Amino acid sequence: MVKKKVPDWLNSSLWSTTAPSANDPPLSRSSEDLSTPTAAPVPVTPPKPQVKDHKESRTSGISNTVNRSNNNNNGNNCNSNVAPTDDNGGSSAGPSPEDISRQAQLLTELSRKVINMRELRRIASQGIPDGAGIRSTVWKLLLGYLPPDRSIWSTELAKKRSQYKNFKDELLMNPSEITRRLEKSTVCDNDEPKSESVGMLSRSEITHGEHPLSLGKTSIWNQFFQDSEIIEQIDRDVKRTHPDMHFFSGDSPLAKSNQDALRNILIVFAKLNQGIRYVQGMNEILAPLFYVFKNDPDEEMTAGAEADTFFCFVELLSGFRDHFCQQLDNSVVGIRSTITKLSLLLKQNDEELWRHLEITTKVNPQFYAFRWITLLLTQEFNFADSLHIWDTLLSDPEGPQETLLRICCAMLILIRRRILAGDFTSILKLLQNYPPTNISHLLYVANKLRSQPSD
Amino acid sequence: MVLVLAIGDLHIPHRAADLPPKFKSMLVPGKIQHIICTGNLCIKEVHDYLKSLCPDLHITRGEFDEESHYPETKTLTIGQFKLGICHGHQVIPWGDLDSLAMLQRQLDVDILVTGHTHQFKAYKHEGGVVINPGSATGAYSSFTYDVNPSFVLMDIDGLRVVVYVYELIDGEVKVDKIDFKKTATTR
Repeated sequence: MVKKKVPDWLNSSLWSTTAPSANDPPLSRSSEDLSTPTAAPVPVTPPKPQVKDHKESRTSGISNTVNRSNNNNNGNNCNSNVAPTDDNGGSSAGPSPEDISRQAQLLTELSRKVINMRELRRIASQGIPDGAGIRSTVWKLLLGYLPPDRSIWSTELAKKRSQYKNFKDELLMNPSEITRRLEKSTVCDNDEPKSESVGMLSRSEITHGEHPLSLGKTSIWNQFFQDSEIIEQIDRDVKRTHPDMHFFSGDSPLAKSNQDALRNILIVFAKLNQGIRYVQGMNEILAPLFYVFKNDPDEEMTAGAEADTFFCFVELLSGFRDHFCQQLDNSVVGIRSTITKLSLLLKQNDEELWRHLEITTKVNPQFYAFRWITLLLTQEFNFADSLHIWDTLLSDPEGPQETLLRICCAMLILIRRRILAGDFTSILKLLQNYPPTNISHLLYVANKLRSQPSD
Repeated sequence: MVLVLAIGDLHIPHRAADLPPKFKSMLVPGKIQHIICTGNLCIKEVHDYLKSLCPDLHITRGEFDEESHYPETKTLTIGQFKLGICHGHQVIPWGDLDSLAMLQRQLDVDILVTGHTHQFKAYKHEGGVVINPGSATGAYSSFTYDVNPSFVLMDIDGLRVVVYVYELIDGEVKVDKIDFKKTATTR
C-alpha cells in the first residue's frame, strides 16, 4: 500500500537482526557471535578485550562494507578469506586484510607533514582500528584540536596544555587560598615577625571586604557557596559514570585519578560557561573522549590527556550545546526541533514505519530519541561499539549533527520488523533498551540513508 | 578549608530578644561546618536555631542556661587543631588571661574558646591562643552595659587559621581578621 515509499533494498532480509537468513551465512553467524561477547568484554578495561569485540564485529561486517569500500577488488577477495577465519571464533584470527589496510592507510596519512583532512575523514569514517593510539590522534585532528600541519603540533599542544593549567589554577582554588594569594600580592609576606610569643593578637583589616559570610555578588566566598551545588552535582555524576568499567569506577587509585580528572574538566567547563554550566549527561559525553586520550600508548600524550580532553570536549559539545539548554527546548535550535528533524528523516525514508510509530502506536519520539541525541548514543551501545560509532560521527564531512540523525534513523529502520509487530509498550521497551546489533551494519545503513534522494 | 563559628552569651530571652538582624542575615545554613558555643543561650529555641545553621554543634554550659546537661568543658579536633570550649564563669578571676592559660594547659588544646566577659578578645601565650567571641546579641554583662554584639568565624586551613571577627559597631557590621599559624612542633 504505502510500500512504494519503502525502497526495495530495505525489504531485503539483510536488515533483520533476529531472523538469520540463509543467503548470507557470515552475517547470521556474526549476529549470534556478537550477542555473547558484547556482554563479556565490557567490565574489563584494558584495550585488549575491546579489540576482541571490535574485530569480530569488523570481520563480519566486511561482507556488508564491500560496496562502500573503495577497494572493491580487495573486498571481494576478503569475503572469501574472512569466512573461514570467522569460523575460528574471530579472536584468534589476526586483523583482517581490510583492517590492516585501513591501519596502514591511516598511519601513512598521519605520518605526512601536512595531513590531508578530507582523506583522513574518508578513511576514518570506515572505522578506526584500536591499536597504536591511532584513534586518539585521529579524534584530536577531527575535532580540530591538532592542526593538520604536523610540525606545529608540539607548540600547539604546549600552548593548550598550559592554558588549561591556568584555568585550573584560577578556577579550582577554594576561597581560603584565593585570599591568601590576594594578601601576598597586597602585603609583603611578613608571617615571621607576627609570631609574638605572648600578647594580644593584632587585628588587621580584611582585604577587599572579603569574609566568608559575605553576601556580596562579587564576593569570592559567596560565589564559592553558590557554585558548591553544581560541584556536588558534578561529583555525584562523575562517581556514577560507567560503574562497570575499572577505568572509571572502583577504589583503585587509577579510577580515583580518572574521576578527579573528569571532575576537574567539568568544573572548569561549568565555571567558564556560565550560560550553560553543568547539565547531567555531560559526563557521559566526556567519558569516551577521556578514555581514548588517556589510553594513548604515547607517554607524553597521556600526561596531557586531561587538558586535551577538555578542549576536545568543548569542541564536541559546541555543536550540541543547545540541546542542553532548557530555555531553548522549544526553539529552532533546541532538542525538540532536532527530534522533529529525526522524525522527518524517518518519514522520508520509511513512511510505513514512521506512520506506525507516530500515528498508530503514538510513540512520541521524545521517549526514546531524547537520550539517543543528547548523549550521542553513548548509552545505547556498549563502550567499544560507541567508540566505533563516534569514529563515524566525528569523521563524517556532513558534521556530527546530521550524521547522528542518520544513525538514529538507521537504528529504527534496522529493527523495523519488531517495531511494526509491536504495540506502544513493547516498542518503547525495545527502543529504550536497544538490542545489540552489528555496528558496521548499522553505520552502513546510516550511510545509505545519505545517498537517498530527499523527497 | 573548614569554617567554624564561635558564638555565645546570647542571653535570649532574658537580656536580649534576638540576634541583631544584620547578623541573622549573614548566618545562613550550608556555609559553616562546625559551631562552637560558649554557653548562656539560654533557651532551647536558640539551641534549635543554631542546630539549623549547622548540624555539628558543640556547646558548654553557661551559668544561666536552662538546659542543665551541657558539659562544663569540651574538647574537639578540627583538622590539625585541637579546640577547647568552656564558658568561663568557672575560671576566676573572670577573664584573667593567666587563669585561662592555666585552663588551656589543663585541657591541652591549641585554641581555647571561652566567653562570659561579653568582650571580644584574642590572646596568644606560650600554651596557645585564647579567643573570646564576645556576646552575639550585645547583652549586658556583670561588668558593663556597653557591649558591642560580636562573634567569630574561624577558617581552619591546614596549619593556618584565619579568624574573622564580626562586630556590630554603631549599626554597621565591621569585619576584621587575625592570622595565625600553628608551629609544626606538636606538644
